[in-house]
Amino acid sequence: MKKRGYGIANMWYGIGNTANPNPSGAFVDFLDDGTAIVLTGCADIGQGSSTVLAQIAAETLGICVEDVVIVSADTEVTPDAGASSASRQTYVSGNAVRLAAENVRNQVIAIAAELLNIPTETVSLSQGEIWNSDKSSGMSIKEIINKCRSKGILTLGHGSYNPVTTELDPETGQGIPYATYAFATQVSEIEVDTETGIVEVKQIVAAHDVGTAINPQNVEGQIEGGCAMGIGYALLEEVILKDGEIQNPGMSTYLIPTALDVPEIHTIIIEESEISGPYGAKGVGEPALVPTAAAIANAVADALGIRMYELPLTPEKIIAAIKNRKEVEAI
Amino acid sequence: MAQFHLEMKVNGKPIALDIDPGLRLLDVLRDILHLTGTKEGCGEGECGACSVILDDELVDSCLILAPQAHGRGVITIEGLALNGELDPYQQAFLEVGAVQCGYCTPGMILAARVLLNHNPKPSKQDIAKAISGNLCRCTGYAKIVQGIEIAASLKETKAGVSRA
Repeated sequence: MKKRGYGIANMWYGIGNTANPNPSGAFVDFLDDGTAIVLTGCADIGQGSSTVLAQIAAETLGICVEDVVIVSADTEVTPDAGASSASRQTYVSGNAVRLAAENVRNQVIAIAAELLNIPTETVSLSQGEIWNSDKSSGMSIKEIINKCRSKGILTLGHGSYNPVTTELDPETGQGIPYATYAFATQVSEIEVDTETGIVEVKQIVAAHDVGTAINPQNVEGQIEGGCAMGIGYALLEEVILKDGEIQNPGMSTYLIPTALDVPEIHTIIIEESEISGPYGAKGVGEPALVPTAAAIANAVADALGIRMYELPLTPEKIIAAIKNRKEVEAI
Repeated sequence: MAQFHLEMKVNGKPIALDIDPGLRLLDVLRDILHLTGTKEGCGEGECGACSVILDDELVDSCLILAPQAHGRGVITIEGLALNGELDPYQQAFLEVGAVQCGYCTPGMILAARVLLNHNPKPSKQDIAKAISGNLCRCTGYAKIVQGIEIAASLKETKAGVSRA
């Protein structure tokens, strides 16, 4: 018999390393042609950090994202930006890039204010032009940078950021381990076959507070990928050890979800701007995975009326749990 | 060991090489022809990262000995773009954000191409089945499936090399 169930799980998750310094640095070189080079140690391992950092630099410098070149993760030339872990790169390295770009922007603004004979407070950079209050001055950023060059000034900026945390009290465990947190709720609908023990995930709804979504398409990609990994964690993935040796070191024995295992994932991005984040952003990498297995396990409990405490929920375990309950009921 | 004289077409171009007959097709593509778009994942036919099209069929190039490709046509990811212009599969993947780390992408795109050659109007389920031998750990497959749906819906598919 096929039984359907629904499960919900909530999570909160700290952004950055726990109660430890984890600074990121960045350099920005605003070039004569109005384009910029950003140097960052941040490794883009597919999550899209280079895209997001380019967007942050472009927004700050008032130029197109296409005019930003990211040089990343090269210890020969890029400043340290810590690990691509702890869901920290958008928040921590994003802030470093923002600060480095603001550093350059302030230099350009100072020269522009002097040339246009207006106060620096009213000058801003947008769409490749110098703006005076909310009107374009008609002067391009490129012209100002060229003026800088003619004065022998290079437009270089650097910035670094370290999340504000405290150490944890060794006695009480109390303190401020993270500067900010991500929040999420996921709901799963599953169908479990009581004959075979196979659980099929029918759909997942995933609502994530990510601060400002600097790149919504990338945020969706992170959430969808996290949910898929969570399905693997809930139903398939188990490292089997015997005498310290992994017994299933292959993709045919350690199963991860294929396209046939992943259902429709409905992502809902909650944008609650984080004041300490770059343009309000936090992180989403790990949070996407955190609640999925709990939401699925809760749905299985809803379907069967049996609470299971060990992942993954393999067909063997589910059949054993059903059988065990029948035996208990028979007594 | 005696060398094997291998002749095959790669992305429409005739290739003639004297090789160690024990080489895999993957080794010839990557190490001799420097077509490094084809990736080696597991190296044992389980992940699909090394997928290429051999004649009309999607194969794991890690499981094919290079001499087995003798006299046949191979299409790799490099064979799709024409004169620097991306083909519709690549363009669709780019637009929907179907690429994260990118390691599975060449295999996914070639799997999609084989599917659409045989089934021009695939359902979501057809697509999921066709790429189920290609593992992806980043995307959750949603945007990959969406990219293939878009590629399928484009009426004029300007393919770089339609047949090897």
